[in-house]
Amino acid sequence: MIVAVGLGVLVQATLLARIRLEGAAANLPLVIVVCWSLLRGPLEGALWGFAGGLLLDLVAGLPLGASSLALMAVCPLANLGKKSIFPGRSTLPVLLVLLATPVFGWIVLLARAMGGLAVDWLIATVRIIGPEMVLNALLTLPAYPVLRWLATQTRPTAMEW
Amino acid sequence: MAHVSNRTIFFFVLAAVCIVLLILSSSNRIAPVEGAAMQVGRPFLLAFSEVGRLFSNVITTARDLATLRARNNQLQTVVDTLTIDNLRLKETEAENERLRSLLRFAQLNPNYDFRGGQVIARVISKSPSNYLASISIDLGAEHGIKPGMPVVTERGLVGRIHKVGPLSSTVLLITDPSSGVPALIQRNRLVGVVSGRAGALPVMEYIPQDADISVGDLVITSGLGGGFPKNLIIGQIVEVRQRDYEMFQQATIRPTVNFDRLEFVLVITNFVPLPGEPGEPDSVG
Repeated sequence: MIVAVGLGVLVQATLLARIRLEGAAANLPLVIVVCWSLLRGPLEGALWGFAGGLLLDLVAGLPLGASSLALMAVCPLANLGKKSIFPGRSTLPVLLVLLATPVFGWIVLLARAMGGLAVDWLIATVRIIGPEMVLNALLTLPAYPVLRWLATQTRPTAMEW
Repeated sequence: MAHVSNRTIFFFVLAAVCIVLLILSSSNRIAPVEGAAMQVGRPFLLAFSEVGRLFSNVITTARDLATLRARNNQLQTVVDTLTIDNLRLKETEAENERLRSLLRFAQLNPNYDFRGGQVIARVISKSPSNYLASISIDLGAEHGIKPGMPVVTERGLVGRIHKVGPLSSTVLLITDPSSGVPALIQRNRLVGVVSGRAGALPVMEYIPQDADISVGDLVITSGLGGGFPKNLIIGQIVEVRQRDYEMFQQATIRPTVNFDRLEFVLVITNFVPLPGEPGEPDSVG
């Protein structure tokens, strides 16, 4: 899974960052973490969110820890899946990603604001988070089946002590 | 007392680590660690960047096919006009060369001041985050790169060096909302500040209400404040917003640089921003 997270960040930095809708790009690490939380539980998702977030911050030049915190914060959303009324196997991850995208975005923006940079919350929400929600939802459709297959090929990470 | 599971404790420990890292990173206390990590990741970014560029080219080509025929006809007309213009320009150029040598015009051309100090850098990645408009280049502190150095292409201003690692650096683009570039309108020398906007074209702000600006005007750096050199092209006005109840006008700028297709950039190394300017952000190197 660590390879998948590392690969996800590299693909994000070099490939997905070039494909933009209204100035925003899809967020593959976020999609991976949300789907993995749904497949393996929020705690394992949080672990990979922490690792992927650190890589993302190093590559993007964001304050270290900002993306990790934001990715970890979206993992508990996977608990909503336990009581899901949606029967489709791809509907739930798409809905969770739609929910997780603004949560992630606002936490990163908050980290930037705490770093002393001016943040226009309304414009950032409308112009970045909005298009990113659409792109992330579209990206979830092919990503979720791949991650589901990966989940069947690997064993859950042992985290009890 | 309610039982708290080990899993919950583990989650909150990770969150606490993130917050500590965030505080340390914002106060620039783990800059050497960040610099070392950037150095480790650089070869991977370089390798994947080539794949990304190829993929991007394929998508761009496919997108362009739809408008290719109409564009071809337009371009043919432009080529005819330019061929005639080119002949005229060659004559003018030859005459200009002679005049230059006579009048030592080259010494007065401000662009030449920076020519000796330029370093060519390869763009190795774009910011993977939607919340920071930046690119990474394959030059760092070991190549003489310092925070605040202006970054340009032959088309105009790209941004300034934001973070510097040993072998790579991050460039904050002029399209980032936290970027502010003192600028002026070339036609009438009116000054303002060009700021980036999230997910949209940058705008030139603080233009007086009674100022004469119009679509098509060229915007260049003013050099005021000492953060950027003077006379670097930023872009062209594509929209003017004037409201009677506001103190200033606002102009939307289309940058001359195509930020989606950046491959090589020039770093102006012999320009040092004045102390205290926004051109001196944190360094991680």
